[in-house]
Amino acid sequence: MSRGDGLFGSYVQGTSVVHRAPLAAKFVALLAVGVATTLLPSWWTGCLLLALVVGTHALAGLGLGRLLRTMRPVLPVLVVLFAFQWWSQDAAMAARLVLGILACYIAAGVVTGTTSPSALIDAVVGAARPLRRWLDPEAVGIAVAVMFRSIPWIADAFGEVREAARARGLERNPRALVLPVVIHTVGYARATGEALAARGLGDPVEGPQDAPAGGSRPGGPGAPSTNDGAPG
Amino acid sequence: MPTIELRDVVVDVPTPGSDTPRRLLGPVELTLSEQRISVIGANGSGKSTLLRLVNGLVQPSRGHVRVDGLDTVRQGPAVRQRVAFAFTDPLSQLVMPTGREDVELSLRRRHRRADERRAAAEAVLARFGLDGLSDQSVYDLSGGERQLMALAAVLATDPEVLVLDEPSTLLDLRNTRVLRERLTALPQMVVLATHDLGLARDADRTLVVEAGRVVFDGPPSVAVDEYVRRSGG
Ligand SMILES: Nc1ncnc2c1ncn2[C@@H]1O[C@H](COP(=O)(O)OP(=O)(O)OP(=O)(O)O)[C@@H](O)[C@H]1O
Ligand SMILES: [Mg+2]
Repeated sequence: MSRGDGLFGSYVQGTSVVHRAPLAAKFVALLAVGVATTLLPSWWTGCLLLALVVGTHALAGLGLGRLLRTMRPVLPVLVVLFAFQWWSQDAAMAARLVLGILACYIAAGVVTGTTSPSALIDAVVGAARPLRRWLDPEAVGIAVAVMFRSIPWIADAFGEVREAARARGLERNPRALVLPVVIHTVGYARATGEALAARGLGDPVEGPQDAPAGGSRPGGPGAPSTNDGAPG
Repeated sequence: MPTIELRDVVVDVPTPGSDTPRRLLGPVELTLSEQRISVIGANGSGKSTLLRLVNGLVQPSRGHVRVDGLDTVRQGPAVRQRVAFAFTDPLSQLVMPTGREDVELSLRRRHRRADERRAAAEAVLARFGLDGLSDQSVYDLSGGERQLMALAAVLATDPEVLVLDEPSTLLDLRNTRVLRERLTALPQMVVLATHDLGLARDADRTLVVEAGRVVFDGPPSVAVDEYVRRSGG
């Protein structure tokens, strides 16, 4: 099964320097790669940037197999982009652009591959804390983690639907591709939302740990437990 | 055991293009306090709707549902802390890529510190004998392992009631047996809906649901016979 295998959501356990780096540092580095791609003076500096990113990928111990797997879905797009840029501009410009995109893509894969979902939620919750008057930071953190997990799921749903369409000889019919993916995705979103709600993960976090940790319960029927709509 | 009360409960949904709503369930009047309760009935009879009422996933259109006196609508979060719910398909339940991450997600409310959470998750996984599988992608687990992982994730917070909607539907015979053994060993109150009459018989009390009504309520063996008879068997 290849589900969940992809750029996002595929955290690889490890103890490398990259794994241990604080998430904020990784985000800054990712941002730096993004900015650098817009400033590349030539195609060979693009190669240099790409080499740097691939080196970091290796340093994190993420492996060549993962690198190739995560690149596979974007390669066709990049080939088309390269051809178009070459035709409309020139080869050096096309190479610079494609190398830059590839570097960003792999750099993003390094961040998701070395950051556990829990660490990601913690970081997002921390970052969202100043907004807590308007948003529940826990909910934002969980939403981001679920979003990361959903991207490969939707990509895979697309692959499955395409196979099903091919089996019926409909692979050229966009409706036979898009509609089932939308239906799959809506169903998936509903199921995920329901699973989160059933676990109380959408409920407002109560005040400073007044919740009983199992065992004793605060009063019986009619206990003044007004959890609803009072998030701190 | 906790007490689950359904008082004059009705669940209606609006019918598209009509003023009269469609009745999915009710009226139902029940007090449940046995440790093992099973719910059986035909497809579309209202079993899932009945179970979803217990932790507020479905809200009654009329009447009240209470768990230990806590109203599932007005005190929903408090109810959900006490009532865990497991779905048929563990993959729609496990929202994180690995079992360990999913158990940690359950424990976020209880342990704010990451290291404490991690230790608590380890303990839960060990308790369920899943520590060897905790870092495997949930997609790579077998159906039975996944179902047990999903159970561990919802049981991590030590709920008082566990509600299960067709927990054995996707399992083979061997994994169904493992699941039945695990469920039997649980100290919690368990309410489950199933088409597996063997699993239904493991209960102390069985409800037979038909067309949104509880048409039989009593000992499992009698209930199963009644259900088979009503199904024309
Ligand atoms: N949100 C909803 N809106 C409209 N109808 C619904 C909704 N949820 C359930 N139903 C309908 O209510 C009826 C009872 O559904 P329910 O899922 O409770 O049955 P069930 O006994 O669990 O069936 P199964 O054995 O197939 O799981 C079905 O006819 C179903 O189509
Ligand atoms: Mg059902």
